[in-house]
Amino acid sequence: MTDTHDQADARPDGGEPSEDADESARRTISIPDSIELPRLLDFYDLQDADHTRIHEFYDRLREGSLSTTQCEDCGELHFPPRVVCPECTSDDLDYVSLPHEGTLFAFSTVRGSGPLGMTDDVPFVTGVVELDGVDLRLSARIDGAEYDDLAIGDPVELEVVDIDGPTDQHRVFYRFRPRGETA
Amino acid sequence: MPRNAAIVGGGHADWGKRAATWKDLAQEAGKATFDDVDGLGPDDVEGLFLGAVQPERFAFQSHVAPLAAELLGVDVTKMIARTELACASGQAALRYAWLAIAAGQLDVALVLGVEKMNLGDDYVAETQASMTNVLDREFDGVNGLNAPSFFSMFAQRHMHEYGTTREQLAKVSVKNKNHAANNPYAQFQQEVDVDDVLDSYPIAPPLCLLDCSGITDGAAGLLLVSEEKARELTDTAAYVTGSGQSCMAANSINNLPSFSAWPQATQAAEEAYDQAGIEDPVKELDVAEIHDCFSISEIIEYEDLGWVEKGEGGQFIEDGRSELDGDIAVNPRGGLLGCGHPLGATGVSQALEVYKQFTGEVESARQVPDSPETGLIHNLSGSGSVHSVMTLARDPQ
Repeated sequence: MTDTHDQADARPDGGEPSEDADESARRTISIPDSIELPRLLDFYDLQDADHTRIHEFYDRLREGSLSTTQCEDCGELHFPPRVVCPECTSDDLDYVSLPHEGTLFAFSTVRGSGPLGMTDDVPFVTGVVELDGVDLRLSARIDGAEYDDLAIGDPVELEVVDIDGPTDQHRVFYRFRPRGETA
Repeated sequence: MPRNAAIVGGGHADWGKRAATWKDLAQEAGKATFDDVDGLGPDDVEGLFLGAVQPERFAFQSHVAPLAAELLGVDVTKMIARTELACASGQAALRYAWLAIAAGQLDVALVLGVEKMNLGDDYVAETQASMTNVLDREFDGVNGLNAPSFFSMFAQRHMHEYGTTREQLAKVSVKNKNHAANNPYAQFQQEVDVDDVLDSYPIAPPLCLLDCSGITDGAAGLLLVSEEKARELTDTAAYVTGSGQSCMAANSINNLPSFSAWPQATQAAEEAYDQAGIEDPVKELDVAEIHDCFSISEIIEYEDLGWVEKGEGGQFIEDGRSELDGDIAVNPRGGLLGCGHPLGATGVSQALEVYKQFTGEVESARQVPDSPETGLIHNLSGSGSVHSVMTLARDPQ
């Protein structure tokens, strides 16, 4: 096809409908109403040994215990759990239990629009919890209290929650709530 | 010997909730950029650097720098890259363009920033989900906190530790939004007063709606060229005099050492000041475009960019020291609070504003008085674990 031919084909049509404007003769192609993703894409990872090397963290959490990795070589305590120590690059890590109690270091509330899958939760409280006795601060949802009822320094405790979602896998996560408040 | 590089012009798409695609925005900013610079066109561009954060999710499109090259008719001969550094992606693009020119690799770079964020009122959750995941999705994003909620904890802690007041936060929004009222591409062009801010919806207390930047569709472009090329083209350019970056080994909230300070801002600023030979930034900087994604951010930045003692940021705005006629005119463009924040475009827009302040081409109501000659841009990104600072001047050293 020559340039001359291109230009002749692309002459202005003055906005008039072209010759084949008969829409009834047009073919329809179909795409699915929804597309099933090949792998789960929600906020929670697949937590078993087939999918993550920190499955022990989730195994322990499923049994009710918060844990994390500690480096056998340099002693660094990590959170989130790792497969390589960011302090000394050792991969000789061990799981250790963490306290379930702490205090609120900072907190906020999501009142506008939540992320996908959490819009029905709005309004909810999120915060940063300083764990008792270890040098760790955890990012977490704070359940069981309204934003206006909370203050910096309030005592909170960990709650393990099961996740009911689009997989047969038994997934879990952790949240915190004011100490002494049961769900 | 590194070579000098200078901004010689650029332009914007209109910012806001746009009835336009990612590709439309890229084309508008490209046209505005080439229209602004006499003597340079697409055929002159040797390198293209594009800041874009989440086109894969917001526009279902990857490999966006070559796409922009096609849209703008640029045959790139030397270097092309997309930069992704969350909210600092635009400045990252500019920094790499500067480094390429300084290293003698090329003479003319097109620097673009493009972000399409509004997917329709029914799909805000998609945008929020993507924003949440700039932290560690598995351990932070899962908690659902969006940007206002994250930064509100900085406001909470800064008020708790230093006694910063709600009114001081509001004054930042008032200043910047009133600048944006005179900026024709800004998303929010309404003037507001302190009561308007305090009476707006407490979306993430202590922050109210008017303490927050927007979710914005937008694009900006500029041309960065070698000093030799700049002198052929114009008498007034904005030369890059320093550029610093600092990132702590802590992107996740779980590892942030502070919720009231950004030590990386201090490190990045000191690096840039040192390169630029700036010893007293408050005296030596005429204009600054800094990252006011939320009102609290600007107050912390006054402190950590080294302009006032820690904890005195609130007093800095209260005393009017960041007004157009103050010690440093901060965010005459309107900031992120007034212009909105199309993530990848913001840093490019900030740098272009400094150039336009040098040339005197901005609307008179937001022109920094007395012919500004030195400027700074600053972006934080992610959890505030990364800070990027660039200094600019009318004259290279």
